[in-house]
Amino acid sequence: MANILLIEPDTVLGRTYRQALEHAGHTVLVARGAQQAINAAEDLAPDLVVVELQLAGHNGIEFLHEFRSYGEWQSTSVIINTFIAPHLLADAEEALRRNFGVKAVLYKPRTSLQQLISAVDRHITAPDGQA
Amino acid sequence: MNQLTTTAIILNRTDYGEADRILTLLTPDYGKLTLLAKGVRRVKSKLAGGIELFSVSEITFIKGRGEVGTLVSTRLAKHYKHIVGDLDRTMLGYELIKKLHKATEDEPEEGYFDLLRQAFEALDDTSVDPRLVQLWFLMQLLRLGGYMPNLETDIEGKKLSADMTYTFSFDGSAFAQHPEGVFAANHIKFLRLGFGGHSALALAHVQGVGRLVQEVQGIVTTMTTSHIRS
Repeated sequence: MANILLIEPDTVLGRTYRQALEHAGHTVLVARGAQQAINAAEDLAPDLVVVELQLAGHNGIEFLHEFRSYGEWQSTSVIINTFIAPHLLADAEEALRRNFGVKAVLYKPRTSLQQLISAVDRHITAPDGQA
Repeated sequence: MNQLTTTAIILNRTDYGEADRILTLLTPDYGKLTLLAKGVRRVKSKLAGGIELFSVSEITFIKGRGEVGTLVSTRLAKHYKHIVGDLDRTMLGYELIKKLHKATEDEPEEGYFDLLRQAFEALDDTSVDPRLVQLWFLMQLLRLGGYMPNLETDIEGKKLSADMTYTFSFDGSAFAQHPEGVFAANHIKFLRLGFGGHSALALAHVQGVGRLVQEVQGIVTTMTTSHIRS
């Protein structure tokens, strides 16, 4: 159905999310870090990106800044799926939406696999660049 | 062709063609430079196309005939790693870069480079509250743009007194004496430090800095909205 780039540093979670999204019919490429994700995006041409903000090395915001600086990825939908608690992200959430076009922010401990799949399906970038 | 060397901070980057990147850099010697980094995408090199964000680099470049030169080499001189270790600091760092980029012309004076470098240094110090760094940055941006408030005399030209309280008049960009004014000597001293040549790190040592930041924030942000291009 769609190409999903999943940026998840935790190997077990990455595998679980990948299996769930593949079961829902998507093609999924998992990257553990920001640099690997940029390289993967060149190969995959993702329709949607799911990213954890807390990454080793370059963090998720650095990834988003780099990702959005490429013309062909400026309208690709992005969902944040993070362990950072909502109250800690409260101030940043509006800026993430405004600056990086983030469509949704999910809190991992309270997001079921079905909710993740629903969010992905809802925000997949249409061919004309509209989510 | 002559190769030139300078110090630079990256402001922006975008792709160009299939394999190249265009970087906008702020330098103390040449203002803003727009440089082509060739082949960066093809070789899948560093995340930032050869230059890390939140860092100062030594670069060598060739000036082009038009507006765009060519980046020859880069060497990382200083990376502010604690900024990217904290998401709030990272977000603020991006905001500051964006604000400075929009607020300055193509050939900003050297002070803008120093401002961004000092802002990175302050943001990199995890003991300094990011809200103070943001406020200090805006005060310095106003100062460099020539929009200093009058911190010596009130709106009627009388010398500001430690025994009086004041309101702030945005029309006159000065304090106005008022018996129920919320601003007093400590606010004025703090603003003098902030608009003066002191660093954000120096401001961090002012007694009651957290409260002062909150209380003068309205003056600084309103002035910024009125005077600085965004």
